[in-house]
Amino acid sequence: MPAKKKSAKKTSAAKNTSEHRRLWLMYPPRLIQTPIIWELGGKFELITNVRQASVNDEIGIVCLELSGKREDIKSAIKWLEKKGVSVEPVEINVLES
Amino acid sequence: MSNDQGFMKALKCRECGREYPLEATHVCEFDFGPLEVVYDYDKIKKSLTRKQIESRPQTMWRYRELLPVAGEPTVGFQVGYTPLVKADRLAKRLGIRELWIKNDTVNYPTLSFKDRVVSVALSRSRELGFKTVACASTGNLANSVAANAASAGLEAYVFIPSDLEHSKIVNSLVYAANVVGIKGHYDEVNRLCAEIAGKYGWAFVNVNMRPYYAEGSKSMGFEIAEQLGWTVPQHTVIPMASGSLLTKVHKSYQEFCKLGLVKETPWHIHGAQATGCSPISAAQKAGLDFFKPVKPDTIAKSLAIGTPADGFYSLRVMKDTNGHAEDVTDDEIREGIRLLAECEGIFCETAGGVTVGVAKKLIAQGKIPADDSAVLCITGNGLKTVDAIQNHVGKPQEIRPSLREFESILSPKQRSEVKA
Repeated sequence: MPAKKKSAKKTSAAKNTSEHRRLWLMYPPRLIQTPIIWELGGKFELITNVRQASVNDEIGIVCLELSGKREDIKSAIKWLEKKGVSVEPVEINVLES
Repeated sequence: MSNDQGFMKALKCRECGREYPLEATHVCEFDFGPLEVVYDYDKIKKSLTRKQIESRPQTMWRYRELLPVAGEPTVGFQVGYTPLVKADRLAKRLGIRELWIKNDTVNYPTLSFKDRVVSVALSRSRELGFKTVACASTGNLANSVAANAASAGLEAYVFIPSDLEHSKIVNSLVYAANVVGIKGHYDEVNRLCAEIAGKYGWAFVNVNMRPYYAEGSKSMGFEIAEQLGWTVPQHTVIPMASGSLLTKVHKSYQEFCKLGLVKETPWHIHGAQATGCSPISAAQKAGLDFFKPVKPDTIAKSLAIGTPADGFYSLRVMKDTNGHAEDVTDDEIREGIRLLAECEGIFCETAGGVTVGVAKKLIAQGKIPADDSAVLCITGNGLKTVDAIQNHVGKPQEIRPSLREFESILSPKQRSEVKA
């Protein structure tokens, strides 16, 4: 049993470690006027840092660094995808043919 | 090659121009733009001549000053210098004066152009002290990393989507690579692999080694120019997945011109995609300088990248060279595969069918003029994608062991060829 407790502690510590993730967010036109990053900052305990952005009538592209707990970053990515934002790592095509 | 840089100068951000040391890193810390290798062309000019290149073994390494390794290559000594085939019969069918096929269906050792980029990435990885190499792939890249790592004695990790067809997995497992299947949709697999690449001290060929890896594609362009008698072709048709190959072939022509190895004549770079995954060609045809991501749905799996990393740069190259893009349906892809096979005896994978189909369209539209000369880049072997075409090439005619039955299936003309 003590061993179990120890491993649970370890997992919880890993979840609480602060991480940085570099992402490309791509917005469809219907979301371009929505303050997504502001909403994200309010919903999750994460630091957002925009490094590049380009917006036109057809697409919004933002290069964003997210810093915070791993679990919060994962939840934020899920929330963004649910909203209709495409989320790619900054490397984009890691998975090639 | 005496120092630790060879003929390279630095890694440079393609967005802001900031320079970085020649390490295993791939994005600019400032704006997260992609990094690219820059070279000392003055130094190269002093040592690289046509004569010297011609005196070297017929592999991609004959252009080694223009490839990102500091010393002599240590992986993939025999990669490249694939045939440039004069395709007269296909030229006639497509209605163009002169046509050439750059035939990477026979590239060594895994029958696709990926051996070029992988041998460069692995040679550089060794120089930087890595013992383990990795990639995330659904096909050709996985096979190439597994094979080249095996021959170099490097530990290899290959990440794949768990639902990948077994035949494709065998081509990596056979080399004793560590193959890891990841459950989940494309975006999740992609993000996890990026995370693993950031966390472990491995040479991830298409992540932290990407600036070096991508440069390997230039060798295809160098070979085309040399094999055409030190001339840049008027038109080059190139399949686009991430778009990297297209930008690097263009860079290879620019570098040969800069070094005076070829005379600077106008060239046009054209991009080919499958209609079921055509973010770059759709943008080019609409006159946009940006693309919109798509969800791929095509038999050309090796080109199925819905968010192409070099999409923006590919559009710029086509614009700068007055090139065009087109896309073809799955049926047109199969027709392209058959055309190349029937006319030239070359069996290509689906990406090759895309290239042939797009060339046919561009010639018919007059975007590649009938009086001009064109090169088609054929990047992989048809044995890799047999499933895409197996139900579309007909069936053998079956007969009983009877001469009469055999003769009954011959045409009158064939029957008349009986020996007197």
